[in-house]
Amino acid sequence: MQDFLELAVSATASGCVYGLIALAYLLMIRPTGIINFAVGEWAMVGAFGGHLLLSRYEWPYWLGMLAVLAFMAVVGWVTERIAVRPLMERGTGVLAPILALLGVLVITREIISVSFPPDPLPVPYAFELQDQKYFIIAMTALVFAGAWLFFEKTVLGRAFEAVALNRRAAALMGINLSRVTAFSFAAGATVAGLGGLLVAPNISAHYLMGVPLAIQGFTALVIGGVGRVEGALIGGLLLAFAEQLTIRYAPIPSGFAQGVPLLFLMVFLIVRPTGLLRTRA
Amino acid sequence: MKKIIFALLLATGTANAQTIKIGVITDRVGVSKPYSEPATEGVIFGADEINRKGGVLGRKIELLIEDDQSRPDISAALARKLVDQGVVFILSVSLSPATQQQQTVTMEAKTPQMTPMNSADYLTTQLQNPYFWQTGPLGSTQIATLLAHARSKNFKRVALITDNSDLGQAIGKAFKGTLEKAGIQIVADEVVARGATTAMPQMQKIRAANPEAMFLAGVLTAENVLIFRAYKELGVKFPIHSSYNLSVPIYESVAKGLIDGITFVDAYDPDKPEVKAFVAAYKKGTGKDPQNLHGYGYDGINLIADAIRRAGSTDKEKIREAMQKTSYAGVMGKKGMKYTFPEGKRAGFDTDGMVVRVYEKDKQGRVVHVGQK
Repeated sequence: MQDFLELAVSATASGCVYGLIALAYLLMIRPTGIINFAVGEWAMVGAFGGHLLLSRYEWPYWLGMLAVLAFMAVVGWVTERIAVRPLMERGTGVLAPILALLGVLVITREIISVSFPPDPLPVPYAFELQDQKYFIIAMTALVFAGAWLFFEKTVLGRAFEAVALNRRAAALMGINLSRVTAFSFAAGATVAGLGGLLVAPNISAHYLMGVPLAIQGFTALVIGGVGRVEGALIGGLLLAFAEQLTIRYAPIPSGFAQGVPLLFLMVFLIVRPTGLLRTRA
Repeated sequence: MKKIIFALLLATGTANAQTIKIGVITDRVGVSKPYSEPATEGVIFGADEINRKGGVLGRKIELLIEDDQSRPDISAALARKLVDQGVVFILSVSLSPATQQQQTVTMEAKTPQMTPMNSADYLTTQLQNPYFWQTGPLGSTQIATLLAHARSKNFKRVALITDNSDLGQAIGKAFKGTLEKAGIQIVADEVVARGATTAMPQMQKIRAANPEAMFLAGVLTAENVLIFRAYKELGVKFPIHSSYNLSVPIYESVAKGLIDGITFVDAYDPDKPEVKAFVAAYKKGTGKDPQNLHGYGYDGINLIADAIRRAGSTDKEKIREAMQKTSYAGVMGKKGMKYTFPEGKRAGFDTDGMVVRVYEKDKQGRVVHVGQK
């Protein structure tokens, strides 16, 4: 039993990280329809920011964390300005910005790989090793509660929903589309950066860390569906529990156990292609 | 970095028609960079030291350094380029497959070539190239040494853990074969995937199997650190015996507080007189502490200088004959070990020359076991 509880906490923490990355995707997909695979690289930037401020310059944790998140918001905002808005304004549809963002992914990774040494770098815990998983869970709960309140209770959040439902109609109603898009990218980058900063004390800051996170987060998003904010978290948790319970308890060699979450993803795509949660009418 | 450039300028600045040219093929951007970079610094420091002491046969050594990105295709072309530029020896500090590819050129051009650090067993067995030598400890020696240490502990039941990289799987397989042959039961055999965010389920499984020790064959640093974290979080106590990968000093900073007591195979004994002299000289010359990886490069360039001295000429055939008769004590290897190539063999690291060391707090510490006995 103790075994299972330990594993449940560990899987919940991993699931929260997947959920945060999934939320970053969702924040941008909802109003724009753009799938931004650079979220994994943004998580990496958050992790390297943590290494720089918290490990190298030894800032207090909260100050360093706020600085990293503020920087991430700027990164997201600038990315939208450079790689998304010019294309959207020319009416290119969503495919062009998706490709431009893949370019952003490569550029981001190369900047990090030439600026830092090739080995994984340490990022400190918020408190202690034993507490990091609870810290991850608490921070994620806070972020998801905030996102939920934002979409349900604020006018700007409602504007997001309106844009998600119908861009053209929303624009006709006087909603500033480019402001919503800019805000969604800034928020997406901040959430992705937070995910990177939270997971980095475990997996270390490394220039190749982005792609696995991007895949795990995307899988979580597919499982949970893009319709509702909670879907991202539920998808992340389901994925992490499927991964870790299989490795721990399934009577198959652990090399094969890695394939199980992908099997899970395929089943979901066949049975529930819109994800677990339906969009509210 | 500035120091390297300075040393390079120093090495090339004094170059004139009288220099002895030695080619170095390294990796500055590819997968071997973490290993090749310090080794190359060791080569540059060694060449600089030799030149300050008057050079070889009254002539200075000039290093021609090329970057092959660990890519075998590029590597062979660079070997050709170096031969055309008139090098008398090529020193390979890139990846094993790249070194292997360079041999196609050195064999044909009859140019001596050596690698001071590659560990692949096949480098001197697949090609009968009399112009090639390998002085790094072989993969098979690493495993045998680690197992000899394990045997001295009389383990009956052990766990094995690795990652899903090619090399991690290969080392894991070699560990498994050797352990089973020694009659030691493997009670858990786990894999941590690249990009995982925790190794908790694997370590729980190992804990449940209740082994007397755990063998770590993984080579991915971040994933190995996950394993150490889960080990610490679960508070388990069985000892960890690790592959050669843990001899890379990056763990001292990235796995701070997690590695105390872990034993690992190495080819470096900090108590050896040659090592002490090397560390002091390196610190004085560069202001930095050298790692074991610097020692490989340093030994490589000194082995070449030693062969040229004994050959008494820069004639490549005479250097080849002298190199084969090498008997040289360097920085790497156990106390008193000499690099030799008896009976026409070209892998020169004594199979009894590796050691097992232990992490003490966060530092690579003392030697706890020597050789294969």
